[in-house]
Amino acid sequence: MKEVILDCFGEACPIPLVKAQNAIEELEIGDVLIVQIDHSCAMKNVPEWATKAGHNVEIEEVDDSEWEVIIEKAK
Amino acid sequence: MTREKQVEHYDVIVIGGGPAGLTAAIYAGRARLNTLLIEKALIGGLATYTNSIENYSGFPNGPKGEYITNEMKKQAEEMGVKFKLTAVKSVDFEGDEKIVETFRNKFIAKSVIIATGGRPRTTGAQNEDKFLFDKGISFCATCDAAANTGKHVLVIGSGDAAIEEGMFLTKFADKVSVSVIHDEGKMDCNEIAREAAMANPKMAFIWNTVVDSFEGEDMLERINLKNLKTKEIIPVETDSCFEFIGYLPNTEIFQEKVKMSGSQYIITNERMETNYPGVFACGDVREKWLKQVATAVGDGAIAGFAAEKYIAETEQFEEILMQNEKPGLIFVYNAIDPDSRKFLSVIDSYEKSKQGAIAVNRVDVYKSTGLADRLGVKNYPAVVITHEGRISSILYEGICEEGFCTATFDELFKKACKDCNK
Repeated sequence: MKEVILDCFGEACPIPLVKAQNAIEELEIGDVLIVQIDHSCAMKNVPEWATKAGHNVEIEEVDDSEWEVIIEKAK
Repeated sequence: MTREKQVEHYDVIVIGGGPAGLTAAIYAGRARLNTLLIEKALIGGLATYTNSIENYSGFPNGPKGEYITNEMKKQAEEMGVKFKLTAVKSVDFEGDEKIVETFRNKFIAKSVIIATGGRPRTTGAQNEDKFLFDKGISFCATCDAAANTGKHVLVIGSGDAAIEEGMFLTKFADKVSVSVIHDEGKMDCNEIAREAAMANPKMAFIWNTVVDSFEGEDMLERINLKNLKTKEIIPVETDSCFEFIGYLPNTEIFQEKVKMSGSQYIITNERMETNYPGVFACGDVREKWLKQVATAVGDGAIAGFAAEKYIAETEQFEEILMQNEKPGLIFVYNAIDPDSRKFLSVIDSYEKSKQGAIAVNRVDVYKSTGLADRLGVKNYPAVVITHEGRISSILYEGICEEGFCTATFDELFKKACKDCNK
């Protein structure tokens, strides 16, 4: 089970979402994708998409206005 | 194969980050308890779905719900509360250690506060699932109103939320139709909102109707309403529908564990206690009469305070009252009851006469009966005799004329342990 970090710092919506959607395609079930973001809109649409897609999601505020969306591929 | 979960210990875990959970966390944090709040979506809960909160005391200018909850979050952070944004997968409340699991962590806490709130109820009409959220059916005028500029939208429901949000939508949309289940002129909302809505030229009402089906290709195109009296189908051409027909509690993960009402709301007493000691519930998830930010905050304050009391009492109970170094005598009394108080001197002199051979503790039930409940004491005053960390007997009034006889204490200690009264 691998862990992939996707650096989306400085990128506005919908780029982090599109990148995350593409990145998860490459992963196996059980793998973890960590999307690093600093645009608050991505903090909403990335977890929303991942939850709807049935993956496990956790958001961690790593710094002021910097987040990591941790997505475990579940299907 | 599953990843190993990281284990973390807390005093209090609050599940849910709406006004009730945030307030409970503020109280727990302020009591210097190590507190974690877990929220599955964004902090603020359903309050953030409301464009303007007009009736929360102390905020006279009708702020956005989000503004109020952001302030609460800031306050909780200042109290040292930690936040985790992820869904709770399972809970186990059976033991003294309460377990809350997310997909990456196993959290162990002394006390858990459930503040998971509710979510909008849906109509259950045909094809509804196809168009939820971003496909045409919304539950949040604040979120989606601006996208309806110049359009015709349909609102389902006639409660306060339906009518107030419908009025808000008229600022953007050209026409707002409202499907009302009741007869003409009758609505569930307050009278002021009803009058204002009836007078609003952009609002039109379709009485005695419910949704029969939602129609469209990928996106919503048409809603077929059904007149309950004539059975007539009334098609409404619109790609935007707002449902405001009440809420359902978020209690799925607690089912068959925590005691709930028929409609799956958690049952608590006025201290927010559930059927599990140390597990509390507050806010919209509770079976209660009025669900508002103000009442959620009130519930949260009680739950946070109750959790603090529970933890303090557990420590006091286990470490002090149930000590196993010496035989123990616990005097349970109510400080405002004079009869109860007069025995204090009897207990004092007995303690002195034993010169430290017996551990004597006094429990005042005036503020909380928690410790007395744990001891199984129902009436006050009472004396509990312990031996090797276990209760051996409980003594109530009327043992002898003067109340508690020290001779009786000696007898009971002798019975509990032959070596104790040498």
